[in-house]
Amino acid sequence: MFTRYLLLVVSLGLSLTASASERDAATIVRDAVNHWRGVSSESVMTMVIHRPDWERSMTMRAWTKGEDYSLVRVLEPKKDRGNGTLTDDDNMWTFSPKVNRVIKIPSSMMGQSWMGSDFSNKDVARTDDIIDQYDHSILSVEEVDGLLVYEIESIPHEDAPVVWGREVLRIRDDHVVETHRFFDQDGELVKKLVSLDIGEMGGRVVALRQRMGKVDTPDEWTEIRMDAIDYDVDLKDSLFTLSNLRNPRD
Amino acid sequence: MHMFVVLARLAWRNLWRNHRRTLIMLAAITLGVWAMIFMTALMRGMVSQMIADGISALPGHVQVHHPDYRDDPSIANLIPRSDTELSARFVDAGFVKWSSRVRVPAVITSEYESRGVTLLGIDPDSERDLTFVDYDAVEGRFLSASDDSGVVIGKKLAATLNTEIGKRVVLMSQDPDNDIADRGFRVIGLFEANVQSFEENYLFAGKATVQKMLRIGDQVSEFVVLGEDYRDVDAEFEKVLQLVDGNVEVKRWFELDPYLGTMLGVMDGFVLVWIVVIFLALSFGLVNTLVMAVFERVREIGLMLALGMKPINILGQIIIESLLLLAIGLALGSALAWATVQPIKDGIDVSIVSEGMDMWGMSSVLYPELLLSDVVLANVVVLVLGFLASLSPAWRASRYEPIEAITKV
Repeated sequence: MFTRYLLLVVSLGLSLTASASERDAATIVRDAVNHWRGVSSESVMTMVIHRPDWERSMTMRAWTKGEDYSLVRVLEPKKDRGNGTLTDDDNMWTFSPKVNRVIKIPSSMMGQSWMGSDFSNKDVARTDDIIDQYDHSILSVEEVDGLLVYEIESIPHEDAPVVWGREVLRIRDDHVVETHRFFDQDGELVKKLVSLDIGEMGGRVVALRQRMGKVDTPDEWTEIRMDAIDYDVDLKDSLFTLSNLRNPRD
Repeated sequence: MHMFVVLARLAWRNLWRNHRRTLIMLAAITLGVWAMIFMTALMRGMVSQMIADGISALPGHVQVHHPDYRDDPSIANLIPRSDTELSARFVDAGFVKWSSRVRVPAVITSEYESRGVTLLGIDPDSERDLTFVDYDAVEGRFLSASDDSGVVIGKKLAATLNTEIGKRVVLMSQDPDNDIADRGFRVIGLFEANVQSFEENYLFAGKATVQKMLRIGDQVSEFVVLGEDYRDVDAEFEKVLQLVDGNVEVKRWFELDPYLGTMLGVMDGFVLVWIVVIFLALSFGLVNTLVMAVFERVREIGLMLALGMKPINILGQIIIESLLLLAIGLALGSALAWATVQPIKDGIDVSIVSEGMDMWGMSSVLYPELLLSDVVLANVVVLVLGFLASLSPAWRASRYEPIEAITKV
């Protein structure tokens, strides 16, 4: 009788901690995504695309609002100036002043590279997939320089439109993602997003320099460098419309 | 009648008087007839196989589509009726096989690669034996039900994507509002196809699962019906026309795949051309032999004429000679053709040239097909044309002036 009671308590306790850690892991991920994005944000960033024999950089201005809206517009170099990308929920449009056309990115092109970088269109359009398409669990917690760092394993749901076997994120206590590693279904590391510089900007501690690259081609990577960022700015919904993508009014 | 018997006996004896000439001629006719029949059987087999493959490559015998589907096989052009409602009518129609499916272009992505493919949302039960995939030969397993959440892809595609059974892939397509519709699927089976491009281009998922993913409710892209014989599908066509109504397009396989349809038509014409061409070559030999036979026997023919034989009988005798020759040759040739087709009836493996064959949409095993009609055609053509060819030497022999002929040196 007593042993049975003990068993019950232990198993109950175990399941409680399990569900608690699950919720925690999911919360940590959600907070990290929201932290990086804010309720709304306006930023200037530089994207450096590096290849073994060339390198190019692009300066861009980006706006985000809520979970769905984002708009990115290229400032430099001159020949790409005005190229824009608008996302609304899972949909994505691009505009190029040279052809003067708004193009909706079809599903067949979602896996392709965004502006020639190591990010895919999907990476850009579906940032919040990580929140609701995965099961998260905490692998380990460690303390580095006085900050707790959670290592979280995210396994996509069975029917999630995600090809990875699992993803492992290292998220600091202050919601900054240190690394985001993508593993294939054999458990091999395929690509990773690493925060190389973390510092304060716009009143928040954020990743100032992030690098995305495939593991087996270390000479090829894309870096996003934050030049300026403002959080919780007042952005009108009209900013995130197709007509604004075509004819900037900002 | 009595005359005919005498003439036939004379002709028969004449044939074997110079047996070497006769045997050579017989060999030529036999070989020619054999070539006609044998090669035709091979070609027939090739075309049949091609059409069987073509039909198993999804068109079936009769198909129903949205009128614009064939121009733009996309999600926008689904059959504007409910699948269950239409299916209910098909169930009792007594077709050999029928099925409805969702067929849309999609993109499949693994961790490493992505490829454009044709996504087939099917009901595995009704689709059995309708597609080119043999369920039992699938590595892993085939779909078990319409709402199976797995996907079956070709071996070649799996190799390209660097994926395997048990792994997940992502399928992306569009819903009717042009929004992205995507979903993860687990690869449950790998199929092999006769035609390599099928392995790269087609993948199978459950119909209900695909309908849910594409947010199209109870709609499908096409209905497929299989009848008894691909050469005669009009009955099925009429029946389907009565079953469906409204804004749909009903087409037979040779309209859906005009290349295949034309192929069949061309083939039927080609067989005749082929037989005639071979015969032309053969007929020169035949005429030459008969002319020689006549020339050698000028004196003899002159003597017969002088003894009072009527020219018409001379004509008859020579014609009977050539017909006898032809008949023996035809019998031997036909028998030889049958004897050579028989051992290879179960297929000749031509996989050495399979890549080239693939280009034509053919598989790598060739099944010769001996049609009675082809044998009859070859025999009749040779007999009729041979008869015509022998007319000229026979006519010439019957027109000899007896005195001249006898004294001819």
